[in-house]
Formats: sequence, C-alpha cells, structure tokens
Amino acid sequence: MGANAQTSVPLFTAGEVLTAANQNISAGTGVPVFATTVTRDAAFGGSGEKVLAEGQLAYIEASDIVQYYDGTSWATLGPSTSGGLNLISATTIGSAVSSVTVSNAFSATYDNYRITVNGGSGSTEANLNFTLGNTATGYYWSYAGVEWSGTTAFGGGSNQTSFFAASTQTKGTFLNMDIFNPFLSDETVINTRYVNLKTATTGTSLSIGGFVDNTTSYTAFTLTPSSGTLTGGTIRVYGYANS
Amino acid sequence: MATYKIQIDDEVRNATPAEAAVIDAQHAEAEAQEQAQADRAAAKQAVLNKLGLTADEAVALFS
Repeated sequence: MGANAQTSVPLFTAGEVLTAANQNISAGTGVPVFATTVTRDAAFGGSGEKVLAEGQLAYIEASDIVQYYDGTSWATLGPSTSGGLNLISATTIGSAVSSVTVSNAFSATYDNYRITVNGGSGSTEANLNFTLGNTATGYYWSYAGVEWSGTTAFGGGSNQTSFFAASTQTKGTFLNMDIFNPFLSDETVINTRYVNLKTATTGTSLSIGGFVDNTTSYTAFTLTPSSGTLTGGTIRVYGYANS
Repeated sequence: MATYKIQIDDEVRNATPAEAAVIDAQHAEAEAQEQAQADRAAAKQAVLNKLGLTADEAVALFS
C-alpha cells in the first residue's frame, strides 16, 4: 500500500474537530487512492464514512487506473488504451463510383499514416491511382513485383498525374500504403504493397515506392481506378503515434 | 467528356467538368503506360526470337 492509499473516506459531523490526520486523508490526496478494488469498496458506507454515490472517483494502485462510480458500478476512466497505430477514419466505398476522396485524413496529430483498402470490387482490372489534395502533377514512382509464373515485373513513372498505388480487381482490391509527411510542409513519400487476386499466371504481388515532388501540406486524398469503377470495400486511415 | 460518379467521404455525386477532366487525364496516362509496357514486352520478345531463346533460357544465361 502506497503513502497516499487510504482505507476509508471519512465524513464529518457538525461540531466534530478536524484533525491534521483527517485533513490529510480527506483532502490531501484529492482523488482517493486505494491499494485494491477490495479496499476501495470497504472504504465507503461504513460508520463515519461517505456513502458511495454517482460521480465518485478513485485511483487503484494495483492496476494503476482511475475509476468513476456511475451509481451502479465502477468504470475505468484511464489511462486511455491508445496504441501506436490509431484509427482515424473508415470510409465505405459506394456503388459504381469513379473515384473516392477521403477528407480530413491527415492532420498535425500524426506525421506518418497507414492506409488500407480491403474488399469490394472493381468493374474491371485496372490501376488504382492515388492523388493528394488537388495535385495532379509531380508523382514519381517505380514498382517491382513477381508474377505467379515467376516472371519479374518492373516499371516506373516520372512526373505523373497520380501515384500508381494498386490494382483494382473484380475479386476485390487489397492495398496497404505507408505515407510519410503528407500534412507537413515537406515532400510526401509513399510506399505500398498490394496483391493482384488473379488466378492467371500474370497475377502479381507488387511493391511500389515513390514521392510527390512538392512541399504542400495535405489533408485529403483520392483513389481513382484508371478505368471502370469501384463498388464496396472499406478505406481505413490510421495514424502512427509520433511518440 | 464522360460523366463520372464520384464519392467524397460519404457523399456520392456527379463529377464537375473540372473533376472529370482530372479523371480523364489519369485514364489517358494509364493507357499510355499500358501501351509503353506492351511495346517493351514486344521488343523483348523480338530480341528473344532473333536469338532463338525462350525467356527462361535468357534468364538462365544471365544468372
């Protein structure tokens, strides 16, 4: 039991002398501190103790958590369970759309992001192009992959109107993209991997890397198939915690 | 100019002429890339034919 831990939450009656010890217990600790949830429960409602009621706070040493009482039970207030990768948005792709824009994807909160596209289908096999904001120039990329047959596939694009991010498939589009510094006033660097769900020997898994040759700060991005449309599937944006 | 249906977050609407022009430009660029890739593959095959080698034999030659 730590130095702040208490075993009761005293209640004073009219005329009672407030001692230094009483003061230290009731006010000195702010939020009452208990060794465990057992000592917490035992500290309320007894003779000379406060009756447990809605709004009561408590800190539990054993689990290092802050809790509040909602009138029926205790709930944990914190710490938050945020991890290193935090979901920012999930956008369901509509029916037969020629492009999908995700607004407010990037902000000052994170420097780097993970974007995934999962499921849905393309009306035809095509490239899935990625653009930032309204920028339609200055995309540089190259890819390297291997077809199911073992044949290698290489290519690149210089100063293009978009970034080649993946391939749309009638069986679904599966993409994961890491994007660095889109919100910062710096060049945006992009790395993606995708798998082409095609049983023909020309089916491929590809890695693509590149950058956007400007220092514009972006908040939005757009995915556009190079032909046909997209239906269904989910675009998720995650932020990598800076610290 | 083609009519495109575009999605911005949860809203789906027809593209404006300016937005449609951007999509058209991307489509045209992709077609050009596809053509360039096909041209490269044809040129490669022509060389292999001239040498009388299959693609696998050519890879083995340089590995």
